[in-house]
Amino acid sequence: MPTERTDLLQGTLDVLILKTLAPAAMHGWGIAQRIQQVSEDVLAVNQGSLYPALHRLEEKGWIAAEWGSSENNRRARFYSLTRAGRRQLAEETESWERFAAAVGRVLAAT
Amino acid sequence: MLKRIVSTMKSPFEGKRMESDLDEELRFHVERETEENVRRGMRPGEARTQALRRFGGVEKTKEECRDAGRAVWLESFLQDVRYAGRSLRKNPGYAAAAVLTLALGIGANTAIFSVVYGVLLQSLPYGGGERLVRLRVDAPGAGITDGRFSPPEMNDLRGSGDAFDAVSEYHSMWFVLLGRPEPERVQTGVVSANFFDLLGVRPILGRTFRAGEDQHGAEAVLVLSNSYWLRSFGGDPSVVGRVFRMNDRPHTVIGVLPPIPGYPEDNDVYMPVSACPFRANPDTENNRDAGMLRAFARLKPGGTLGGAQAQLNGLVKRLEHDHPGNYPASIHVAVAPIPLRDELTAQARPTFLLLSGMVGLVLLLACASVANLSLARLVRREKELALRSALGASRRRLARQLLTESLLVALTGGVLGLVLAVGCRQLLVMFAARLTPRASEIAIEGPVLLFTLGVSLLVGLALGLVPALSSRRSLVSALQEGRDTSAPGGPARVKLRGLLVVAQVAISFVLLAGAGLMLRTLWKLAQIDLGFKTERVLTSRVDLNFSRYPEDAQKRDFQTKLLDKLSSEPGVVSAALAGNFPLSDRGPANGRFRIEGRPGAAPENLPVADFQRASSDYFKTIGVPILRGRGLSSADRQDAPKVAVISESLARHFWPGEDPVGRRIGLDGQHPTDEITWLAVVGVVGDVRQYGLLKPPTEQIYLSMLQYPGLSTTCFVRTSSEPRALERAVRAAVHTIGPEQPVDRFRTLEEIHEGALASPRLTATLLVLFAGLALAITATGIAGVIGFSVGARRREFGIRMALGALPRAVRAMVLFQGMRLVAVGLGIGLAGAFLLSRLWSGLLYDVAPTDPVTYAAVALGLGAVAAAACFLPARRATSVDPMVALRNG
Repeated sequence: MPTERTDLLQGTLDVLILKTLAPAAMHGWGIAQRIQQVSEDVLAVNQGSLYPALHRLEEKGWIAAEWGSSENNRRARFYSLTRAGRRQLAEETESWERFAAAVGRVLAAT
Repeated sequence: MLKRIVSTMKSPFEGKRMESDLDEELRFHVERETEENVRRGMRPGEARTQALRRFGGVEKTKEECRDAGRAVWLESFLQDVRYAGRSLRKNPGYAAAAVLTLALGIGANTAIFSVVYGVLLQSLPYGGGERLVRLRVDAPGAGITDGRFSPPEMNDLRGSGDAFDAVSEYHSMWFVLLGRPEPERVQTGVVSANFFDLLGVRPILGRTFRAGEDQHGAEAVLVLSNSYWLRSFGGDPSVVGRVFRMNDRPHTVIGVLPPIPGYPEDNDVYMPVSACPFRANPDTENNRDAGMLRAFARLKPGGTLGGAQAQLNGLVKRLEHDHPGNYPASIHVAVAPIPLRDELTAQARPTFLLLSGMVGLVLLLACASVANLSLARLVRREKELALRSALGASRRRLARQLLTESLLVALTGGVLGLVLAVGCRQLLVMFAARLTPRASEIAIEGPVLLFTLGVSLLVGLALGLVPALSSRRSLVSALQEGRDTSAPGGPARVKLRGLLVVAQVAISFVLLAGAGLMLRTLWKLAQIDLGFKTERVLTSRVDLNFSRYPEDAQKRDFQTKLLDKLSSEPGVVSAALAGNFPLSDRGPANGRFRIEGRPGAAPENLPVADFQRASSDYFKTIGVPILRGRGLSSADRQDAPKVAVISESLARHFWPGEDPVGRRIGLDGQHPTDEITWLAVVGVVGDVRQYGLLKPPTEQIYLSMLQYPGLSTTCFVRTSSEPRALERAVRAAVHTIGPEQPVDRFRTLEEIHEGALASPRLTATLLVLFAGLALAITATGIAGVIGFSVGARRREFGIRMALGALPRAVRAMVLFQGMRLVAVGLGIGLAGAFLLSRLWSGLLYDVAPTDPVTYAAVALGLGAVAAAACFLPARRATSVDPMVALRNG
C-alpha cells in the first residue's frame, strides 16, 4: 500500500466531491474518508478546504444539504447531488477525461 | 416555492442559524475523526488532539466557508442584476410600461402616506403630547354646541380637582397694531400665562409668558407667531424688545414662537389675558354668562380621560347646585375633555383614510397590470428560460433571476414615484391645510422614504412570485415540445391572467364608484341654495378699533360716511355693511328674545336666534330676497322706533301660518332689572347659509346697524364689472375717512363660495384622477389579455372559419370570453364597493354611499370601456384570411 500522499490539483476537489455524492448522500467526514479510501490513500482531503468547497457547491446549487442522523446516531449535515450537480458532474468528468487523456498522450509521446 | 425564494434572499443576511449550523457540522467532523482514531487504538485525549491537528484551524475554516458562500452569492447576484438590466433593455416597451405603471402607483401611495404620516401618525408638535386636551362645553337644552367658558367658569375648572396638572384659557380677537409703517390688524391669541408651558412650546427667541404676567397691573407683553415674525419682520431677531402700541397702551415683544400648527386659530401675536381690554374688564371677569373662552388642560402624568371626565361631571353637578339660575338642569350642561390630537385631525381623518384606501387600490391595480404584462412576457421568454435551465441553471437560480428583475423594475418605479410625490408635495400641503392645522408638518423624509422603500420591495417580491407560481411545471418540456412562442403558457397561466383581469375590473369599479359618488356630492354641494347671489360682490373686513371708536355715535358716523363714499364710487351698484359675511366659519352669534303676547318664560327657556347687524342696503347688495314687508332702511335710525327683519325659517318656526310683520319681539337688557326693548318686525327675508355650506340656515334676526352699532364690520360692494378692480377704491375710501383704520381680507363672494367647495372639489379631483388611471390601466390590461389569447388561437379561428363559422360568430365568441371575466369583475367590484361604502359615507353630501344611480352608471361605463377593449382584438381575430392563418399558424 503506497503511503505517499498527493495533494489535490486546484479545482479537482469539486468534481471529486460531486462524484463521491453521486451514489448517495453523505456528510463531510464521510466524503473525506470515502475519497481517501477509494483513492487508496493517495488523495488526502484537507479538511480546511473540504468545507469551504461544500459551501461553494451548495451556494452554486450543485449540491443540497440537509440535517440527518449519522451512522453513529448523531446529527450530521448530509449533502446530496442536485440535478444541476449531476449535469455538472457529467460535464466535468468529460472534460477531466479529455484533459487526462491529453496529458497522457503528451507524456507517452516522449 | 416561497421557502425557496426566502432561502435565496437569506444569503446576504445570514444570521445565527447559519453560524450555528456551521459550528455543529465542524464539531461533528472532529468528533467522528476522534472516534476513528480511538478505533485505530489511540488514547482518547491523543485521538482528539490528533483529530484537531489534522483538521487545521477551525476558525480559519469557518471563515473560509463563509467567504465561499458569500463570494458565490455576490457573484451571482451581480450577474443577476446585470442580466436583469440587459434583459429589460432588450425589451424597452415592457420595461417602460412596467416602471411607469408602478411609479404612478408607488408615487400616489408615497404622496398620500406622507400626508397621513405628517398629520395622523406623527406625534404632536407640542411637548405636552398626548396628555393635552381641550375642554368642550355643550348645553343641548339651550341650543349651545361647543360653547365657550366665561372667566368665572375658568376659575371653576382650575379648582375642579387634580385630574389636570395645568389648565389654561384662550380666546382670539383682532386688534390694531400701531408702530409699523401702516396700521396692521393682527389676530391676537389672548391666553393664560401658562398657555405655552402647558402645550410644551419653547420660544425660538426670547421667552414666553411668565407666571403673573396675566394678572392685573402687569406690563403688556407680546409673543409673535413664527409666521407673523417671518412675514412682517423678515425674521429679524432684533424684534424682541421692541414696543408697539395696541389698544392705546405700549406692548413689548418678549419672544418668538417656533412654527406650530395655526391652532386654535392662526394667530399673529399672543398676549396675556390682562392685556385684553375686553377680557380684563371687571364686568366680564365676574360675569358667569360672558362665554368667550376656550379651555385647554393637561392631564396629570398617568391621568386618564375617564378620570378627567368624572371630575368635570362633578364640577357640573356642583355648578348646577350652586348657580341654578345660570345652569338649570333642563339645559343639560356637559363638559368633556377632547384629546388635542383628535381636535387637530378629526376633520382630516375620514378624507385621508379614504384616499389611503383608494391609492392602495391603485397600487394593487398597478401590480395586477404589471403582473399581467410580465406573464405575457414570460411566455415569450419560456424558450430562453428552458434553454438556460437545460444548460445547467437550477430552478432556484432562475426564480432568483426573475425576482431580481422584478425587484429592479419595482425599485426603479419606486424612485420615479418618489420624484412624483416630491413634485406633488406643495399641492398636497395646500389641500391638507383646508382640513387640518397640521398640514405644514407634511414632509417627504425619514419614515416616508422607508415606507416607499418597503412598498417598492414588497411590490418587487410580489411580482417576482407571480412567474414563479405559474411556472411550476417543467420548463424543459417547453423546449422539448418546441412550441410556438406565441402560444399561451399552459392553462394555469391563462387562468391566472384571467383572474388578474377580474381583479383589475373589480378594483376599477370601486375606484370609479368612489369618484362618482364624490362627483355627485360636489354637484349637490354646488347646487345648494346659498340664499344670496355671489356674482360681482367684493367683501372686506373693516373692524373698527374700539379705542378710536368707543362711542356708538362715532361708530355710526364712520359707518355712514363709509357707505356714502362707497355708494358714490363709479362702478359700485350698491354698498352695505354687516357684522359678518355669509358662509363664515365663525359660529352663530346666538341670543335670546321674547315674543310679545306669548306667555312669559324663564330667561333660560326663551327662544334663541342668531343676531346680525346690517346696514340698509344689505339685502339688496348680496341679493337676499325680501319675502314680506320691507328690508332695513336708512330711516331706521337711532331715534326712530326699533325694528327687526327676520329670516324665513325663524318666521316659520315661531309664527307658523301667521304673518309676523307688525308683531314685536323683545330683547332683555344686560341686567335682569333692565327694561325689555321691543322691536317691530318689519319684514321677512329669505334664508341664508350664514355659517358654512353644510350647516342648515340659522334662524336669524337682523338689526339695524344704525340702531345697534358694533365694531366688527364686513363691507360688501356689488359692482357693475369685475369686483376685484374695486379693491383700491374701497381701501382709499376707508383710509380717507379713518386714516388709522385697517381694511383687509378682500374676497369676492364667489371666492368665499369656491373656498367652501375647495376641499370636496380637491378630494373629487384626486379620486377622479385615480379612477381615470385605473380605467386606462384596466382597459389596456383587458385588451392585452384578450389580444394574447386571440393571437394564440389564430389557428383555431382559421379552422372554425374554414369550416363555415361566420366571422361575426367568432367575434361574438371572443367578446363573450372577455366579457365573462368583466362581468365577474363587476360583480366582485359591486360587492366590494358595498362593503367599503362606510369608508366614504362621511364625505358624502345628500348622496347615499350605495347610490344606485352612481353604481349603475359606473357599471355601464366600465362595461362599455371593457367591451371596447375586448372588441378590438376580437375584430383582429377574424380579420385574418383563414388560409393564411392555417398555413402560418
